[in-house]
Amino acid sequence: MATGTNRGQGHRSGGRVTTFSFGDYVVGAAVNGQLFAVGLGDGTVRLIDSETLDAEPVTVSAHKGAGLCLSADVDKGAFLSGGDDGKLVRLAPIGAVEVLAETKGRWVEHVTAHAGSGFRAYASGKDVFVLGKLGAPPRKLSHPTSVGGIAINPKGRRLAVSHYNGVSLWWLATKDSEPVSLQWQGSHLQVAWSPDGDYVLTAMQENALHGWRLSDGEHMRMTGYDTKVRSMTFTRRGHFLASGGASRVICWPFTGGGPMGKAPQEFGGAGGPPVTAVVANPLHDVIAAGFEDGTIVLGQPGPGGSALVMKANGNPITSLCWNPDGDKLLAGTESGDVHVADFRPI
Amino acid sequence: MSTSGSGAIPVTVLTGYLGAGKTTLLNRVLTENHGKKYAVIVNEFGEIGIDNDLVVGADEEVFEMNNGCICCTVRGDLIRIIGSLLKRRDKFDAILVETTGLADPAPVAQTFFTDDDIKRKTRLDSIVTVLDAKHVEQRLADSHEAEEQIAFADIVLLNKTDLVATGDVGRIEARVRALNPFAKIYHTSRCNIELDKILDKGAFDLSRALELDPCFLHGHAHDPAHDHSHDHEHGDDHGHNHGYDHAGASAANPIHDQDIRSISLATAAPLSADKFDAWMTDLLATEGQNILRTKGILNMAGNDRRFVFQAVHMVSEGDYTGPWPAKDNRRSRLVLIGRKLDEAALEKGFNGCVA
Repeated sequence: MATGTNRGQGHRSGGRVTTFSFGDYVVGAAVNGQLFAVGLGDGTVRLIDSETLDAEPVTVSAHKGAGLCLSADVDKGAFLSGGDDGKLVRLAPIGAVEVLAETKGRWVEHVTAHAGSGFRAYASGKDVFVLGKLGAPPRKLSHPTSVGGIAINPKGRRLAVSHYNGVSLWWLATKDSEPVSLQWQGSHLQVAWSPDGDYVLTAMQENALHGWRLSDGEHMRMTGYDTKVRSMTFTRRGHFLASGGASRVICWPFTGGGPMGKAPQEFGGAGGPPVTAVVANPLHDVIAAGFEDGTIVLGQPGPGGSALVMKANGNPITSLCWNPDGDKLLAGTESGDVHVADFRPI
Repeated sequence: MSTSGSGAIPVTVLTGYLGAGKTTLLNRVLTENHGKKYAVIVNEFGEIGIDNDLVVGADEEVFEMNNGCICCTVRGDLIRIIGSLLKRRDKFDAILVETTGLADPAPVAQTFFTDDDIKRKTRLDSIVTVLDAKHVEQRLADSHEAEEQIAFADIVLLNKTDLVATGDVGRIEARVRALNPFAKIYHTSRCNIELDKILDKGAFDLSRALELDPCFLHGHAHDPAHDHSHDHEHGDDHGHNHGYDHAGASAANPIHDQDIRSISLATAAPLSADKFDAWMTDLLATEGQNILRTKGILNMAGNDRRFVFQAVHMVSEGDYTGPWPAKDNRRSRLVLIGRKLDEAALEKGFNGCVA
């Protein structure tokens, strides 16, 4: 596996890592086809073509304030961006910007979309809005407290919304339904579905993950983290849930009935700063992890250890994203440096 | 990684009843030329008459961390909002949080000691409570929020003093002082005060408060190295009564119809750091729900620097800061504000910390 630590102004290719210096906090990263999108604290979205990394990225002015969330849209090459100007913006493939929704004085904090079913959802305060066809009025889903995260299940039919004291599960295509309520006391933030759709997991404000097995409502409580878990990812076949929040990548086994009563496996890191971002490769059994000191590693649970992609440089990793072929990894940082590592054989 | 030192963003918390003058003060912060750009978190978005992209509405969502431990009650909406604001930190210099008149200030203060990101990148600068001099006595009589807001304050603006008789102002100030011996009290009308008296004061931060005001007498603490503890374990090293020097006449200040009061403890004898830690750990673990705030400047045996300590309910921090101003005045002082305080037991416990 190739490594490199090229940094600097503008963008340069050196070794197998290309670095872009955008100069503002990377709030999110997403991929759609061969296009990477990076949302920044200055309200712009930068589009990077993963096939032509030496080309100048396209800068799109999406928000008047800061960008807060970013997702691939349902159409190829398009993205959705939410900001603290209250706008949900769609970036069409040619870079045109379309405002899909706007709420004064409110922030659009979460956005997601499912290409297969064509549903989009975004969260603002306590409300989640579901958009099907563009132009149709959104469906509003209300919750008792502010939304901590949203996720559409792998089949594209259900939406999980995390908030205080649990998760609400909504059917996307059925109107007027009451949500199924998954309860657990505390503040639930990021929410995720297992690839088979059998489990819903949340990262909590406490240094813990919580999970529910939907078939019987069985609870899973995963604790022992050093800090708040800001990132978690299921491996492609759902065998492991990998998570940040500790000095090593913590991987909970989800084979054979779930992680209850089992110890997690670990990789990467050595008792130093915590893991701040993780993302599973879409095609291979490998997980990319970024640390608060800027280190990026690839690895997997078990004795195989990990491979260094980028050495520590003091610039915390905020987001990670693989291309669909799983051979290019984009990493965003707090300072606005964005690294794209190319793992294709030379 | 940095702790909350020079780079940390100061946060001012503004409390007070509706109509006391908070919005007047907020509008001044947003419009006056004080050289700093504030991000303002308000509870009623419509009240602020100024269009500013750094004003954001909050929902005052309080929740309990750690499965219902009441002293881990924090403001989840603040964690979210401040977390996002920090991503555009070059756009502002400081944060101001307004709370509603009915809010308990404790969850706001505890938020700044509980969430890792917020703890790392911000520092609680001061809790400013605006009081309507004309109505505060009525508020104190008919609600517990008013006295809590006074109890938690680092700075009190006794506002609308032009609407009450001079003699009444003195009586009202005495009541405020009895509830909170360490707050700085200013008399104002229409919140007419130089903003630099209330903003970026480090009033929550004892080491800075002492630098700014060497005559600052009562206990108050904070620590740039952030040695937070939140310990539900029980310390058991209760010592016994050695020679001590009691604070004197104004030690306890019960108010006839109030249940919050303050107790001041003092001694000239050097304290044992281990004994104090054990006593305070146990005290906050068992009584932290009733003790709203604790501030102390302590003379620890064998150390030439002042040990400063403070707590909001059970969340505490303490460390050695600068040297004592004069060699002959190393009196340890500890002020506790709370409900159902057992003065005799507190005195005994404190005196048991003598080295």
